[in-house]
Amino acid sequence: MRLTGKMPVPQKEKMNATFYISAAVAVLSTILVIVSRRAVHALLYFIVSLLAVAAMFYVMGAPFVAMLQVIIYAGAIMVLFLFVMMMINLGVDVRGPEQAWLRPSRLAGPAVLAGVLVAELVYVLAAGWKHSAAPVEVPPEQVGLAAFGPYVLGVELASLLLLAGLVGTYHLARGRREDKSPKEEQPR
Amino acid sequence: MTLEQIRALLPLIILVGAAVAIMLGLAVRRNHAFTVAVAVGSLAAAILSLALGPTVATPITPLLRLDGFSVFFSGLILAASLFVAVLSHGYWNRRRTVISEEFYILLLLAAAGSVTLTMAVHFASFFLGLEILSGSLYAMIAYERDRQAAVEAGIKYLVLAGGSSAVLLFGMALVYARTGTLDMAAAAAKLAGALDVLTLAGVAMILVGIGFKLALAPFHLWAADVYEGAPAPTAAYAATVSKGAIFALLVRLAAAMDIQSNPPFQATLAAAAVITMFAGNLLALRQSNLKRLLAYSSIAHMGYLLVAFLAAGTLGRTAVGFYLAAYIITTLGVFAVMIVLSGTERDADRLEDYIGLSRAHPLLAAVFAGMLLSLAGLPLTAGFVGKFYLLAAGVGAHLWVLVAALVISSTISLFYYLRFIAAAYAQPAAPPALPAAVAMPRLARLAIAVLVILLLWLGVYPAAVIRAIQEAVAIGR
Repeated sequence: MRLTGKMPVPQKEKMNATFYISAAVAVLSTILVIVSRRAVHALLYFIVSLLAVAAMFYVMGAPFVAMLQVIIYAGAIMVLFLFVMMMINLGVDVRGPEQAWLRPSRLAGPAVLAGVLVAELVYVLAAGWKHSAAPVEVPPEQVGLAAFGPYVLGVELASLLLLAGLVGTYHLARGRREDKSPKEEQPR
Repeated sequence: MTLEQIRALLPLIILVGAAVAIMLGLAVRRNHAFTVAVAVGSLAAAILSLALGPTVATPITPLLRLDGFSVFFSGLILAASLFVAVLSHGYWNRRRTVISEEFYILLLLAAAGSVTLTMAVHFASFFLGLEILSGSLYAMIAYERDRQAAVEAGIKYLVLAGGSSAVLLFGMALVYARTGTLDMAAAAAKLAGALDVLTLAGVAMILVGIGFKLALAPFHLWAADVYEGAPAPTAAYAATVSKGAIFALLVRLAAAMDIQSNPPFQATLAAAAVITMFAGNLLALRQSNLKRLLAYSSIAHMGYLLVAFLAAGTLGRTAVGFYLAAYIITTLGVFAVMIVLSGTERDADRLEDYIGLSRAHPLLAAVFAGMLLSLAGLPLTAGFVGKFYLLAAGVGAHLWVLVAALVISSTISLFYYLRFIAAAYAQPAAPPALPAAVAMPRLARLAIAVLVILLLWLGVYPAAVIRAIQEAVAIGR
């Protein structure tokens, strides 16, 4: 589906506007992630930020990447974050403040930003799938052909990056050796 | 992928295979000595595979390219990684409470990232290699996570390196937006020297990102804290391998994009070089912590290297190659002395730790003095020949201001190197702060001996090495 330069100009401008609106939402929510004092609030804004980036990808004609962004980042990784936060149980003392953190008024910010994104999505879908801001739409098979064709080494290198992150996190989370005896005698 | 390309990729394959093998082996049984043997063996095998690899330039997919340039710098990086791995063995053996085996996995992965950087001809592989390198370094810096300073250093590096990566990525995106390609040579051809505002900003942001990683002057603030907090082997790694790999990439990128002949970049880089040289040397003056001193001295040395970098041409690139080799050997030598002196609790990084070193370990004190003199650039050492080449390159390109700055600032540097040498040969007033290190591990002794031989060899008879480097960088385009 190539639509090089066939789009009427006003429509193209509207699509560009959707791009800028989602970019603004992304920037705003990311700033709010940084300035939020509570981890839960930061997380909510972070989810909005990731969804906004997904919306940007979508408007730019990369529906596949947008989908991955929603499924992997906003879905899997953020849920993992939430689980970790729930598992770090701070005890009974914080139950009162915890309820205060989740008061509906605290959710207004993320809700409004997410609402903007939903409105955009509805508008884009209503206006018709083809009108993306980018001249070319990149379908999934093209992504796959590039990633596993000429750029297969890039995928391999990215896996090395993940391996380094994994080993590093594992070590830093694991803590110290308890015994003081020589290392060689302590198989684990 | 053809057989020839796989042969060219062999160093990377060996490193990664060894890293994965160590990781899987740890699930069965932990053994420090065996882990070190695998790591050192794989690094040696990778060096061998480079030496026996293809002799003609081999493009490996659009991302990487093996040529004389990458063979030389990869060899340098792998050899330095090997020395760090050998020295780490004794160091971690003395720190009983730290689980040490994962360090070698991270070290091998960081080496793989660095080798990728030296082969990168595409912005994607450039960025991925850089991230593999810094991703492993974060964990290597914070490796002793019970020490608060180490964790603090790790977080500092994480935040600053993350920020600089973002700047770098933004710069790449701007270049891509104008040229539509991420291939360095193709992008340079499309730009054809004529940079508009967009690409000017893009290339400038890429240079800022690289400058951050090299700790060039306005972006040098992180170096001292990170080196001080990191365990000594990691600091040695960050000062040698990481800097060498990124500088190699900078040289290749500049050769592709012809950055040195572009007036705005030439002026800014020259200014950065002067500020870097003076900032590094002046900040090192009052340091009585050896790690911080080496951090500032490495900043200054990157400034010296920029002089040869700006001189460009074959002479400039030869000077960069030789000076990097000399710098890596010498810095590793100083860190090696620090590592073997480090005890069970803390690293031997204070000035007091070196007072009276010549009494307790006369040979070690001599090595220490020799290495510091080489950093200062005194004759008979590799550092002298290296500096001579830098000056020759600078004079050849008529960079008079830079040459003057180099001479003045390296004279300043004599002061703080001599301060540590004087301490090593001073009479101890009180009993030494650190107990005399228990019998030095045999491997570390061997490593130090090899470093000393290399130092003198490059200092006395550099001709063979220089010829090899000239050939390597000649095919470098």
